[in-house]
Amino acid sequence: MALRVLTHDERAASGLLAGLVAVLMAVTAFPILYSLWISLFAVNLRRPNRMPFVGLDNYANVLASPQFWESVGRTAIFSAMSVGAVLLVATLVAVLLDQDFPGRRVLSACLLIPWAIPSVANGLMWKWIYDSNYGALNGLLLQLGFISSAMIWLGDADRTLGLIANAFIWKEVPLAAILLLVTLKSIPADLYGAAAVDGAPAWHRFVHVTFPALRPGFLLVALYEAMMAVRHFDLFFLLTEGGPGGASDVVAWRIYVETFRNLSFGTGAAMSYILAIATLLMSYALIRSMARQL
Amino acid sequence: MARIRFQSVTKRYASGAAAVSDLNLDIRDQEFLVLLGPSGCGKSTTLNMIAGLEEISEGALLFDDQVMNNVPAHRRDVAMVFQSYALYPHKSVFENIAFGLRMRKVAEAELRRRVNEAAEKLEITHLLDRRPSQLSGGQRQRVALGRAMVREPAVFLMDEPLSNLDASLRISMRAQIRHLHAQMRSTFVYVTHDQAEALTLADRIVVMRDGAIQQIGTPDDIYERPANLFVASFLGSPTINLLEGTLVSESGVMCFRRGGLSISLPSHSVMAWGGAVVLGLRPEDVGPEMSGGAVLQGVVDTAMPSGADQYLGVMVEGVMIFLRVAKDIRVREGEPIAFGLNPSRLHLFDRATGRSLLVPA
Amino acid sequence: MIIPRPIGPRLWRGVGLAAAACLLLVYVLAPVAWLLSSSLQTEREIVSIPPHWIPDHPTLQNFRAIFATGLGLAPAPPGADPSGAGFVPSVAGNLLPAMGNSFIVAVAVVILNLLIGVPAAYAIAKIRFRGRSVALYAILATRVIPDIALVVPFFLVVRKLGLLDSLVSLIVTYLAITVPFSVFVLASFFEQMPDDLDRAARVDGCSRLQVLLRVYLPLARPALVAVGLFAFLASWNEFLLALMFTQTSASQTLPIIVAGITSDFTVSFSFLNAAGVLAVVPPVLLAVIFERYIVSGLTAGAVKG
Repeated sequence: MALRVLTHDERAASGLLAGLVAVLMAVTAFPILYSLWISLFAVNLRRPNRMPFVGLDNYANVLASPQFWESVGRTAIFSAMSVGAVLLVATLVAVLLDQDFPGRRVLSACLLIPWAIPSVANGLMWKWIYDSNYGALNGLLLQLGFISSAMIWLGDADRTLGLIANAFIWKEVPLAAILLLVTLKSIPADLYGAAAVDGAPAWHRFVHVTFPALRPGFLLVALYEAMMAVRHFDLFFLLTEGGPGGASDVVAWRIYVETFRNLSFGTGAAMSYILAIATLLMSYALIRSMARQL
Repeated sequence: MARIRFQSVTKRYASGAAAVSDLNLDIRDQEFLVLLGPSGCGKSTTLNMIAGLEEISEGALLFDDQVMNNVPAHRRDVAMVFQSYALYPHKSVFENIAFGLRMRKVAEAELRRRVNEAAEKLEITHLLDRRPSQLSGGQRQRVALGRAMVREPAVFLMDEPLSNLDASLRISMRAQIRHLHAQMRSTFVYVTHDQAEALTLADRIVVMRDGAIQQIGTPDDIYERPANLFVASFLGSPTINLLEGTLVSESGVMCFRRGGLSISLPSHSVMAWGGAVVLGLRPEDVGPEMSGGAVLQGVVDTAMPSGADQYLGVMVEGVMIFLRVAKDIRVREGEPIAFGLNPSRLHLFDRATGRSLLVPA
Repeated sequence: MIIPRPIGPRLWRGVGLAAAACLLLVYVLAPVAWLLSSSLQTEREIVSIPPHWIPDHPTLQNFRAIFATGLGLAPAPPGADPSGAGFVPSVAGNLLPAMGNSFIVAVAVVILNLLIGVPAAYAIAKIRFRGRSVALYAILATRVIPDIALVVPFFLVVRKLGLLDSLVSLIVTYLAITVPFSVFVLASFFEQMPDDLDRAARVDGCSRLQVLLRVYLPLARPALVAVGLFAFLASWNEFLLALMFTQTSASQTLPIIVAGITSDFTVSFSFLNAAGVLAVVPPVLLAVIFERYIVSGLTAGAVKG
């Protein structure tokens, strides 16, 4: 393509975009390419002077490692539980907030609290709730007579993922509910009007009018929450550190362990790349639909 | 002082589609030029190129003898009134009007004098402290006019400025705009799709379609001597009656033939003959009281009173022809009617090209 | 009344709504209430079984200790009297400085977000230039890259530049993480503003930058508030990158100190919860006060991005 003089608009645009481009180049594009480069070497900080080129060996090793695939499986289970529950609870919350009742505004303000809480504080809070000696969960269930002796909740490999997911869900529901509520509000009122004239009962209206109209919202929320769940790290770090016995060893935790505990940066970078590409593919549809809207 | 010239100007969008192609237009200093056409004809694009709001893909735009292609909007001596008014919602009426002067660093005293003067002329002095959201549509329109006026620009551009007003206000604003043009020493370029507006305001009208100029001329030229079928049918209300037929020569006399209908034409007025043509008759040029030329026979299909006069829809040779006639002519639907036409006001077009076959006056 | 009146469907609906609203309120608030209640209990009370949902003897001793040691008013005593009141862990003194670090980082990220994001968003929303859609896709793509995938390269670059354990490393990386979302929210806000406003201002004599500063910025205040809040909250709450980059109290942010306390078995449970409360209060206050801005910003940015 021949070089040509930039038009006035193009000059103005490039000036206005310069800062953003500089930041994204320096702190996003460059690191990503750099990590692609690293992922082709056997970088281990324990042997800082030797950095042999290994090509795609890091990827091959990761993909051949049963431990990696087990962590993928746990990530999938964690994400499926989280996304499903977030969708369910958020739908109920959105339908509730779509009604008109006194105190609705206070309620929607309170709803933002879990969203705003730092994930570290969220982890601390749930760890304390799940505490096997003095935690609220044991206390409550004992008082109500549901259990007869204190449980070691996070020490139970069968329950760990579910309990972490519960903390994750609690924090994610508000945003999902807000997004679904927007979709609900955009349903034209005459759709309901037509259903009301038909004499349809409320649940009927929900199944035939509300639910289909919510579909684009569901798609958006499901994809967004899946992205969030797949990459989630903080709660795994705070609540279990991948334990007990690897029961909560998910991909994000694996990357952390490989990189910062085993100090093999090449493997960590390769795993990061695999995760990034997987989420990119997963969210391709989401990006497309977002770009079309702007 | 500005004469505006388009020299072979083309505007292409990123998609490759041309909004305006090979435009040649010479706008005289201080004239009132109206760009008229249906939506998507390129008239607004043309106006935006004058303003510097859209870039020119090919060709040159000149103000007097200066090429303007690369001069950005804010460095052109141009003011513009928008259809949406585009008032700044966060500024008072005074600041809206003063904004262009402030950007040009006009001294405060001079600025106040000019804003107040414009407000007085537009009778909006009492609104100067309000916000645009507190104004009616007509008031907003005046503020938008004021904002352009105070600039005392060389070029005054208006993009459908009256389209959002109700009918009666629109008529009174036309007079005011005409008046404004008389007072200011600016070149006015006015975009509209409303033929009545164009006919009342313009010194010259440019009719556009599909990014190309169809005809340039005074309102009389455009209305009386349309250059082609498109111009003929775009102006006039109700629209011109069009009859397809053939042009034949009967013992030396030029005749329009359609079925049993034959209308002889003043031969000196026709440039060429032969083949398929379209005859154009304006509703006001046909009627029972018109004697000249052939007498047409038809059956009244509809009679629509329209205040001062009435419109008759008459079936002639399988085509509905509309007549504008005096109100006191009593006709009933279904009755036969005979009427004449004014042969000096006939229009004749080539059916294939649409071009007028009449000798230009 | 002796004859019971039939309960209308309206009443049932009201009862149902009230029950659902209460349930939601409990779901949202109960965990936080327990956190708060625990932070106000003495060490003796907090280990009682069954738990005291509401403290018998609420005390601010933990908070007093945090502020006293943090402000240098009292030395941090290494674990006196672990059985009752007055137990102050040695990390108590780190909480306020960490809060200060968090605050500096968050404010810097907000300012840089606006400085960089506003012009970029205006260009994307209002200027038709070639490469606009490429820019848009690039910005969106950065949003779906998991931050954990950026950790390794970020770490290596930061280390190479000698910026480990400095606030600068956090500010720059948080900026990279937050600015795409800011641009998206702002661009969709600018997009909603009529193009004619931009055109009118340019004809009136504004360059593109002047249009932005003199016309759009005054109108964009709600979007600016929302974007500023998002950037602030994201920075205040970020954990993973801070975990990698910070090593000493010179740069450790509040989440790092709180996480350290969470896994420190020598720290009392009530102090732990007090640290949690400290981390929770600023973002929750901001969120509740600016609820309207946040919800509208989220809808603009998240429904669209």
